[in-house]
Amino acid sequence: MFNLTTRFQNAANQALTTTIVISGLVILLTFIQLYHDNVWNLDSTSLDNIKPSASIKHSHNYGSVNRKPKENSKVQFDLDADLTPLFNWNTKQVFAYVTAEYPGKTPGSSNKVTYWDSIIVYKEDAKIHLTNQRSKYSVWDVENSFREREAILKLEWNIQPYIGPLIFGETSSSTNFTFAESPNKKKSEAV
Amino acid sequence: MNIRQQLTQLLTVAYVFTSAFVLWKTLSIITNSHSPIVVVLSGSMEPAFQRGDILFLWNRDSYAKVGDIVVYEIKGKSIPIVHRVLREHHSQDFEKQLLLTKGDNNPIDDLGLYAKKQMYLNQKTDLVGTVKGYLPKLGYVTILISENVYFKYGLLGLMAVSSLFSNDS
Repeated sequence: MFNLTTRFQNAANQALTTTIVISGLVILLTFIQLYHDNVWNLDSTSLDNIKPSASIKHSHNYGSVNRKPKENSKVQFDLDADLTPLFNWNTKQVFAYVTAEYPGKTPGSSNKVTYWDSIIVYKEDAKIHLTNQRSKYSVWDVENSFREREAILKLEWNIQPYIGPLIFGETSSSTNFTFAESPNKKKSEAV
Repeated sequence: MNIRQQLTQLLTVAYVFTSAFVLWKTLSIITNSHSPIVVVLSGSMEPAFQRGDILFLWNRDSYAKVGDIVVYEIKGKSIPIVHRVLREHHSQDFEKQLLLTKGDNNPIDDLGLYAKKQMYLNQKTDLVGTVKGYLPKLGYVTILISENVYFKYGLLGLMAVSSLFSNDS
Protein backbone atom coordinates (compact mmCIF):
# COMPACT_ATOMS: atom_id res chain seq x y z
CA MET A 1 0.00 0.00 0.00
CA PHE A 2 2.88 2.38 0.60
CA ASN A 3 3.66 3.31 -2.96
CA LEU A 4 4.77 6.69 -4.25
CA THR A 5 1.28 7.95 -5.09
CA THR A 6 -0.32 7.30 -1.69
CA ARG A 7 2.70 8.73 0.12
CA PHE A 8 2.47 11.87 -2.02
CA GLN A 9 -1.28 12.09 -1.43
CA ASN A 10 -0.88 11.80 2.34
CA ALA A 11 1.83 14.48 2.38
CA ALA A 12 -0.30 16.79 0.20
CA ASN A 13 -3.37 16.29 2.40
CA GLN A 14 -1.39 17.01 5.54
CA ALA A 15 0.11 20.17 4.00
CA LEU A 16 -3.30 21.43 2.83
CA THR A 17 -5.03 20.84 6.19
CA THR A 18 -2.21 22.50 8.13
CA THR A 19 -2.20 25.50 5.76
CA ILE A 20 -5.95 26.03 6.12
CA VAL A 21 -5.88 25.76 9.93
CA ILE A 22 -2.89 28.13 10.30
CA SER A 23 -4.40 30.65 7.82
CA GLY A 24 -7.67 30.65 9.77
CA LEU A 25 -5.80 31.31 13.02
CA VAL A 26 -3.76 34.13 11.44
CA ILE A 27 -6.91 35.82 10.08
CA LEU A 28 -8.69 35.55 13.45
CA LEU A 29 -5.70 36.96 15.38
CA THR A 30 -5.34 39.82 12.86
CA PHE A 31 -8.94 40.92 13.40
CA ILE A 32 -8.58 40.72 17.19
CA GLN A 33 -5.45 42.84 16.96
CA LEU A 34 -7.15 45.45 14.68
CA TYR A 35 -10.17 45.77 17.00
CA HIS A 36 -7.81 46.04 19.95
CA ASP A 37 -5.92 48.87 18.21
CA ASN A 38 -9.28 50.54 17.41
CA VAL A 39 -8.25 51.25 13.82
CA TRP A 40 -11.77 52.09 12.61
CA ASN A 41 -11.81 55.20 14.81
CA LEU A 42 -8.55 56.97 14.01
CA ASP A 43 -9.37 60.50 15.15
CA SER A 44 -5.96 62.19 15.11
CA THR A 45 -6.24 63.15 11.46
CA SER A 46 -6.88 66.54 9.91
CA LEU A 47 -7.52 67.58 6.34
CA ASP A 48 -7.79 71.29 5.61
CA ASN A 49 -6.56 74.36 3.69
CA ILE A 50 -8.27 73.06 0.56
CA LYS A 51 -7.68 75.07 -2.62
CA PRO A 52 -9.58 73.76 -5.65
CA SER A 53 -8.67 74.78 -9.18
CA ALA A 54 -10.13 74.09 -12.62
CA SER A 55 -8.77 73.86 -16.14
CA ILE A 56 -10.07 72.98 -19.60
CA LYS A 57 -8.57 69.96 -21.38
CA HIS A 58 -9.02 68.73 -24.94
CA SER A 59 -7.17 65.39 -24.78
CA HIS A 60 -8.75 61.93 -24.58
CA ASN A 61 -6.42 61.22 -21.63
CA TYR A 62 -8.23 63.92 -19.65
CA GLY A 63 -11.75 62.67 -20.36
CA SER A 64 -12.40 64.68 -23.53
CA VAL A 65 -14.44 63.00 -26.27
CA ASN A 66 -13.72 64.11 -29.84
CA ARG A 67 -11.56 66.98 -28.55
CA LYS A 68 -14.55 68.76 -27.01
CA PRO A 69 -13.56 70.94 -24.04
CA LYS A 70 -13.72 69.04 -20.73
CA GLU A 71 -13.38 70.66 -17.33
CA ASN A 72 -10.73 69.09 -15.09
CA SER A 73 -10.46 69.68 -11.37
CA LYS A 74 -7.47 69.63 -9.01
CA VAL A 75 -7.11 70.46 -5.31
CA GLN A 76 -4.30 71.48 -3.01
CA PHE A 77 -4.61 70.40 0.59
CA ASP A 78 -2.89 69.99 3.97
CA LEU A 79 -3.02 66.53 5.48
CA ASP A 80 -1.96 65.36 8.93
CA ALA A 81 -2.52 61.74 9.76
CA ASP A 82 -0.99 58.98 11.82
CA LEU A 83 -1.69 55.59 10.26
CA THR A 84 0.83 53.63 12.38
CA PRO A 85 -1.93 51.66 14.22
CA LEU A 86 -2.75 50.04 10.85
CA PHE A 87 0.64 48.34 10.86
CA ASN A 88 0.80 45.02 12.68
CA TRP A 89 2.51 41.69 12.03
CA ASN A 90 0.11 40.83 9.18
CA THR A 91 0.27 44.17 7.31
CA LYS A 92 2.06 44.03 3.98
CA GLN A 93 1.14 47.54 2.89
CA VAL A 94 -1.35 50.31 3.55
CA PHE A 95 -2.94 52.16 0.66
CA ALA A 96 -4.03 55.65 1.75
CA TYR A 97 -6.26 57.72 -0.54
CA VAL A 98 -8.03 61.07 -0.46
CA THR A 99 -11.51 60.98 -1.99
CA ALA A 100 -14.13 63.61 -2.82
CA GLU A 101 -17.82 62.74 -2.83
CA TYR A 102 -20.38 65.00 -4.53
CA PRO A 103 -23.96 64.73 -5.84
CA GLY A 104 -24.87 64.08 -9.46
CA LYS A 105 -27.42 65.65 -11.78
CA THR A 106 -30.44 63.43 -11.06
CA PRO A 107 -31.84 62.92 -7.53
CA GLY A 108 -30.15 60.04 -5.73
CA SER A 109 -27.13 59.98 -8.02
CA SER A 110 -23.70 60.46 -6.56
CA ASN A 111 -20.02 60.49 -7.50
CA LYS A 112 -16.78 59.70 -5.71
CA VAL A 113 -13.33 60.48 -7.12
CA THR A 114 -9.73 60.06 -5.92
CA TYR A 115 -7.45 63.12 -5.84
CA TRP A 116 -4.39 61.68 -4.18
CA ASP A 117 -3.13 58.28 -3.02
CA SER A 118 -0.03 56.71 -1.60
CA ILE A 119 1.37 53.24 -1.04
CA ILE A 120 2.88 52.95 2.45
CA VAL A 121 5.08 49.89 2.99
CA TYR A 122 6.92 50.77 6.21
CA LYS A 123 5.51 51.69 9.59
CA GLU A 124 8.03 54.53 9.82
CA ASP A 125 6.38 56.21 6.80
CA ALA A 126 2.85 55.96 8.20
CA LYS A 127 2.92 59.41 9.85
CA ILE A 128 1.74 61.68 7.05
CA HIS A 129 2.55 65.43 7.13
CA LEU A 130 1.66 67.23 3.94
CA THR A 131 1.34 70.99 3.39
CA ASN A 132 0.05 72.47 0.14
CA GLN A 133 0.11 68.98 -1.37
CA ARG A 134 -0.99 69.11 -5.01
CA SER A 135 -3.44 66.45 -6.12
CA LYS A 136 -1.95 63.48 -7.92
CA TYR A 137 -4.79 63.20 -10.44
CA SER A 138 -6.51 65.63 -12.77
CA VAL A 139 -10.14 64.68 -12.27
CA TRP A 140 -13.04 64.98 -14.70
CA ASP A 141 -16.71 64.25 -14.18
CA VAL A 142 -19.29 62.33 -16.23
CA GLU A 143 -20.80 65.76 -16.89
CA ASN A 144 -18.80 68.43 -18.74
CA SER A 145 -18.45 70.66 -15.69
CA PHE A 146 -18.28 70.36 -11.91
CA ARG A 147 -20.79 73.27 -11.73
CA GLU A 148 -19.31 74.59 -8.44
CA ARG A 149 -20.99 71.77 -6.51
CA GLU A 150 -20.06 71.08 -2.92
CA ALA A 151 -17.97 68.02 -2.16
CA ILE A 152 -16.77 66.16 0.93
CA LEU A 153 -13.05 65.39 1.10
CA LYS A 154 -11.98 62.38 3.16
CA LEU A 155 -8.92 60.25 3.90
CA GLU A 156 -9.55 56.51 3.48
CA TRP A 157 -7.30 53.48 3.83
CA ASN A 158 -6.93 49.87 2.81
CA ILE A 159 -4.78 47.28 4.55
CA GLN A 160 -3.21 44.66 2.30
CA PRO A 161 -2.33 41.70 4.55
CA TYR A 162 0.39 39.07 4.05
CA ILE A 163 -2.46 36.56 4.11
CA GLY A 164 -6.22 36.91 4.53
CA PRO A 165 -8.95 39.41 3.64
CA LEU A 166 -8.45 42.99 2.42
CA ILE A 167 -9.51 45.45 5.13
CA PHE A 168 -10.99 48.89 4.41
CA GLY A 169 -11.76 51.92 6.53
CA GLU A 170 -11.93 55.68 6.61
CA THR A 171 -10.62 58.28 9.05
CA SER A 172 -12.98 60.53 10.94
CA SER A 173 -11.62 63.69 9.32
CA SER A 174 -13.80 65.06 6.54
CA THR A 175 -13.86 68.57 5.08
CA ASN A 176 -16.28 70.28 2.72
CA PHE A 177 -15.19 72.38 -0.25
CA THR A 178 -16.75 73.87 -3.36
CA PHE A 179 -15.38 73.07 -6.82
CA ALA A 180 -13.58 75.96 -8.51
CA GLU A 181 -15.38 78.10 -11.06
CA SER A 182 -14.99 76.86 -14.63
CA PRO A 183 -12.44 78.87 -16.71
CA ASN A 184 -15.01 78.87 -19.56
CA LYS A 185 -17.51 80.71 -17.41
CA LYS A 186 -14.98 83.38 -16.44
CA LYS A 187 -14.19 83.92 -20.13
CA SER A 188 -17.82 84.28 -21.20
CA GLU A 189 -18.50 86.73 -18.38
CA ALA A 190 -15.54 88.89 -19.37
CA VAL A 191 -16.78 89.18 -22.99
CA MET B 1 -2.13 -7.05 -13.45
CA ASN B 2 -5.77 -7.69 -14.08
CA ILE B 3 -8.29 -5.56 -15.89
CA ARG B 4 -10.38 -4.91 -12.78
CA GLN B 5 -7.46 -3.18 -11.07
CA GLN B 6 -6.83 -1.01 -14.10
CA LEU B 7 -10.47 0.02 -14.28
CA THR B 8 -10.47 0.92 -10.58
CA GLN B 9 -7.42 3.10 -11.16
CA LEU B 10 -9.13 4.81 -14.09
CA LEU B 11 -12.19 5.41 -11.92
CA THR B 12 -10.05 6.98 -9.19
CA VAL B 13 -8.49 9.41 -11.69
CA ALA B 14 -11.93 10.28 -13.07
CA TYR B 15 -13.19 10.82 -9.52
CA VAL B 16 -10.36 13.26 -8.76
CA PHE B 17 -11.09 15.30 -11.92
CA THR B 18 -14.86 15.40 -11.45
CA SER B 19 -14.66 16.42 -7.80
CA ALA B 20 -12.28 19.25 -8.72
CA PHE B 21 -14.68 20.36 -11.47
CA VAL B 22 -17.72 20.19 -9.17
CA LEU B 23 -15.90 22.18 -6.48
CA TRP B 24 -14.91 24.87 -9.00
CA LYS B 25 -18.44 25.21 -10.41
CA THR B 26 -19.98 25.31 -6.92
CA LEU B 27 -17.62 28.15 -6.00
CA SER B 28 -18.64 29.84 -9.27
CA ILE B 29 -22.31 29.70 -8.30
CA ILE B 30 -21.71 30.85 -4.72
CA THR B 31 -19.61 33.86 -5.79
CA ASN B 32 -21.55 34.56 -9.03
CA SER B 33 -18.24 34.81 -10.90
CA HIS B 34 -17.01 32.69 -13.79
CA SER B 35 -13.55 32.53 -12.24
CA PRO B 36 -13.84 32.85 -8.45
CA ILE B 37 -10.12 32.28 -7.85
CA VAL B 38 -7.52 34.02 -10.02
CA VAL B 39 -3.72 34.06 -10.16
CA VAL B 40 -1.99 37.44 -10.57
CA LEU B 41 -0.02 37.62 -13.83
CA SER B 42 1.31 41.17 -13.93
CA GLY B 43 3.15 43.52 -11.60
CA SER B 44 0.80 46.50 -12.00
CA MET B 45 -0.49 46.20 -8.42
CA GLU B 46 2.91 45.72 -6.75
CA PRO B 47 3.81 45.60 -3.95
CA ALA B 48 0.27 44.55 -2.92
CA PHE B 49 -0.01 41.72 -5.43
CA GLN B 50 2.95 40.00 -7.04
CA ARG B 51 3.04 37.49 -9.85
CA GLY B 52 1.77 34.14 -8.63
CA ASP B 53 -0.38 35.40 -5.75
CA ILE B 54 -3.88 33.94 -5.44
CA LEU B 55 -6.94 36.20 -5.17
CA PHE B 56 -10.43 35.20 -4.02
CA LEU B 57 -13.24 37.03 -5.82
CA TRP B 58 -16.84 37.86 -4.93
CA ASN B 59 -19.31 39.12 -7.51
CA ARG B 60 -22.56 39.59 -5.56
CA ASP B 61 -21.94 43.19 -4.41
CA SER B 62 -24.59 45.46 -5.93
CA TYR B 63 -22.06 48.28 -6.28
CA ALA B 64 -18.31 48.94 -6.14
CA LYS B 65 -16.65 51.43 -3.79
CA VAL B 66 -13.70 53.68 -4.54
CA GLY B 67 -10.61 51.85 -3.28
CA ASP B 68 -12.01 48.38 -4.01
CA ILE B 69 -9.75 46.14 -6.06
CA VAL B 70 -11.74 44.64 -8.93
CA VAL B 71 -11.06 42.14 -11.69
CA TYR B 72 -12.50 43.17 -15.05
CA GLU B 73 -12.58 41.97 -18.62
CA ILE B 74 -12.59 44.11 -21.73
CA LYS B 75 -14.54 42.81 -24.73
CA GLY B 76 -12.12 41.43 -27.32
CA LYS B 77 -9.26 41.07 -24.83
CA SER B 78 -8.91 37.65 -23.23
CA ILE B 79 -6.82 38.46 -20.15
CA PRO B 80 -8.67 39.70 -17.04
CA ILE B 81 -7.09 42.70 -15.28
CA VAL B 82 -6.80 43.26 -11.49
CA HIS B 83 -6.86 47.00 -10.66
CA ARG B 84 -8.19 49.44 -8.08
CA VAL B 85 -11.32 51.60 -8.51
CA LEU B 86 -10.22 55.24 -8.81
CA ARG B 87 -13.61 56.88 -9.46
CA GLU B 88 -17.24 55.82 -9.41
CA HIS B 89 -20.35 57.55 -10.75
CA HIS B 90 -23.75 56.06 -10.01
CA SER B 91 -27.44 56.80 -10.51
CA GLN B 92 -30.16 56.37 -7.87
CA ASP B 93 -29.90 53.09 -5.91
CA PHE B 94 -26.89 52.05 -8.00
CA GLU B 95 -29.09 51.09 -10.97
CA LYS B 96 -26.18 52.07 -13.17
CA GLN B 97 -22.61 52.53 -12.03
CA LEU B 98 -19.58 53.64 -14.04
CA LEU B 99 -16.05 52.94 -12.82
CA LEU B 100 -12.59 54.20 -13.71
CA THR B 101 -9.73 51.96 -12.55
CA LYS B 102 -5.97 52.22 -12.13
CA GLY B 103 -3.13 49.90 -11.13
CA ASP B 104 -1.42 51.09 -7.92
CA ASN B 105 1.98 50.66 -9.53
CA ASN B 106 1.01 52.28 -12.87
CA PRO B 107 1.64 56.01 -13.45
CA ILE B 108 -1.70 56.63 -15.18
CA ASP B 109 -5.29 55.34 -15.14
CA ASP B 110 -6.64 52.52 -17.32
CA LEU B 111 -8.21 54.59 -20.15
CA GLY B 112 -5.56 53.22 -22.51
CA LEU B 113 -6.43 49.62 -21.57
CA TYR B 114 -10.15 49.96 -22.25
CA ALA B 115 -11.72 49.38 -25.65
CA LYS B 116 -11.64 52.17 -28.22
CA LYS B 117 -13.89 55.11 -27.21
CA GLN B 118 -14.70 53.37 -23.90
CA MET B 119 -14.38 55.89 -21.05
CA TYR B 120 -15.64 53.80 -18.12
CA LEU B 121 -16.30 50.25 -16.95
CA ASN B 122 -19.88 49.19 -16.33
CA GLN B 123 -20.18 47.67 -12.84
CA LYS B 124 -22.99 45.31 -13.94
CA THR B 125 -21.40 43.83 -17.07
CA ASP B 126 -17.61 44.28 -17.09
CA LEU B 127 -16.58 42.95 -13.68
CA VAL B 128 -15.49 39.36 -13.00
CA GLY B 129 -15.49 40.10 -9.28
CA THR B 130 -14.14 42.13 -6.37
CA VAL B 131 -11.03 40.94 -4.54
CA LYS B 132 -11.91 39.91 -0.97
CA GLY B 133 -9.10 37.62 0.11
CA TYR B 134 -5.45 37.01 -0.60
CA LEU B 135 -3.05 34.08 -0.48
CA PRO B 136 0.60 34.69 -1.37
CA LYS B 137 2.77 32.85 -3.91
CA LEU B 138 0.91 29.52 -4.17
CA GLY B 139 -0.45 30.23 -7.64
CA TYR B 140 3.04 30.34 -9.07
CA VAL B 141 2.68 26.63 -9.90
CA THR B 142 0.11 27.45 -12.58
CA ILE B 143 2.39 30.11 -14.08
CA LEU B 144 5.25 27.57 -14.13
CA ILE B 145 3.05 24.98 -15.87
CA SER B 146 1.70 27.40 -18.47
CA GLU B 147 4.93 29.29 -19.21
CA ASN B 148 7.80 26.86 -18.56
CA VAL B 149 8.00 23.85 -20.92
CA TYR B 150 10.65 22.03 -18.86
CA PHE B 151 8.53 22.21 -15.72
CA LYS B 152 5.45 20.98 -17.57
CA TYR B 153 7.13 17.93 -19.13
CA GLY B 154 9.13 17.29 -15.96
CA LEU B 155 5.88 17.09 -14.00
CA LEU B 156 4.27 14.84 -16.63
CA GLY B 157 7.36 12.59 -16.61
CA LEU B 158 7.32 12.35 -12.82
CA MET B 159 3.65 11.34 -12.90
CA ALA B 160 4.37 8.68 -15.53
CA VAL B 161 7.30 7.25 -13.54
CA SER B 162 5.31 7.23 -10.30
CA SER B 163 2.43 5.38 -12.01
CA LEU B 164 4.95 2.71 -13.16
CA PHE B 165 6.22 2.24 -9.63
CA SER B 166 2.76 2.21 -8.07
CA ASN B 167 2.00 -1.10 -9.77
CA ASP B 168 4.17 -3.27 -7.48
CA SER B 169 1.54 -3.27 -4.75
